[in-house]
Amino acid sequence: MICCKECIDLLFDYFEGSLEQETKNSLEEHFQDCPPCIAFLNTYKSTTLLCRDTLNQIEIPDEVRLTLQNFLKEQKAQQEKK
Amino acid sequence: MSFTQQKEDKEREEALVRDLQAGNLEAYDQIAELYQKKIYALSFNLVRNQMDAQDVTQEVLLTLFRKINTFQGKSAFSSWVYRITLNASYMKLRNKKKEPNISIDELLPSFNGAGFQQEKIQDWSGSTESLLFTNETREVIKKAVDLLPEKEKVVFLLRDVEGLSTEKVSEILDLTVPAVKSRLHRGRLFLRKKLSGYFEEYSSPKGEI
Repeated sequence: MICCKECIDLLFDYFEGSLEQETKNSLEEHFQDCPPCIAFLNTYKSTTLLCRDTLNQIEIPDEVRLTLQNFLKEQKAQQEKK
Repeated sequence: MSFTQQKEDKEREEALVRDLQAGNLEAYDQIAELYQKKIYALSFNLVRNQMDAQDVTQEVLLTLFRKINTFQGKSAFSSWVYRITLNASYMKLRNKKKEPNISIDELLPSFNGAGFQQEKIQDWSGSTESLLFTNETREVIKKAVDLLPEKEKVVFLLRDVEGLSTEKVSEILDLTVPAVKSRLHRGRLFLRKKLSGYFEEYSSPKGEI
């Protein structure tokens, strides 16, 4: 029987789906008897997804895109002069 | 992305790098187009302001251009681009006043002698949807990520936010795969704890607090 500490150490691989079947079974057995660890697992997953969805939305603002375009043009023009 | 697609992308990228090394300036535009969004997004998540992220992106594009002949192809070109982006972002941050680092260990879960969790764990995972797109929630999340210690933050940004594989992150940062996993896990535990304070407050049924 695994304890909560071991359970939390295994969460990463459990979430990745990379645990061996036997370990996965013991972990799921632990979840059945331990609502706090289920809550922990759910909030661990949610944290990962929430942070990803908040931070991966970044787009280059139009004014930055324009600055970068001009910058590239200048660089190429300098290079061509050489 | 399928394996064939990945292979085609890799070949296309390698061809562009060869073209640029041979002095073909068209290739520069294409490389910039392929990478500038990734460079900007990663640097923005590290430096957290538009002007600095723009500076970093320009510096990285310039470095790619000037140093292309020093790229030897020992690792993937994209890994090289990410490393240059990280270095340029850190240089930018070095000149700024840093917030004091929080010790990550204080925020990791605690257990009693029998290995049971000591604190009360509330499951707020079902109540995040209505809060997700509010500005306040986004600010709380950004602030929590900003507070992550550097080692954990970079792994978290590359792997969870950019969506790179563990192996790729280990190549970029020159770390072993277990080290990447361990840092990412610690980072997620830190963020979970930070976000719990916020979401628990909102998910408590009225009258129970």
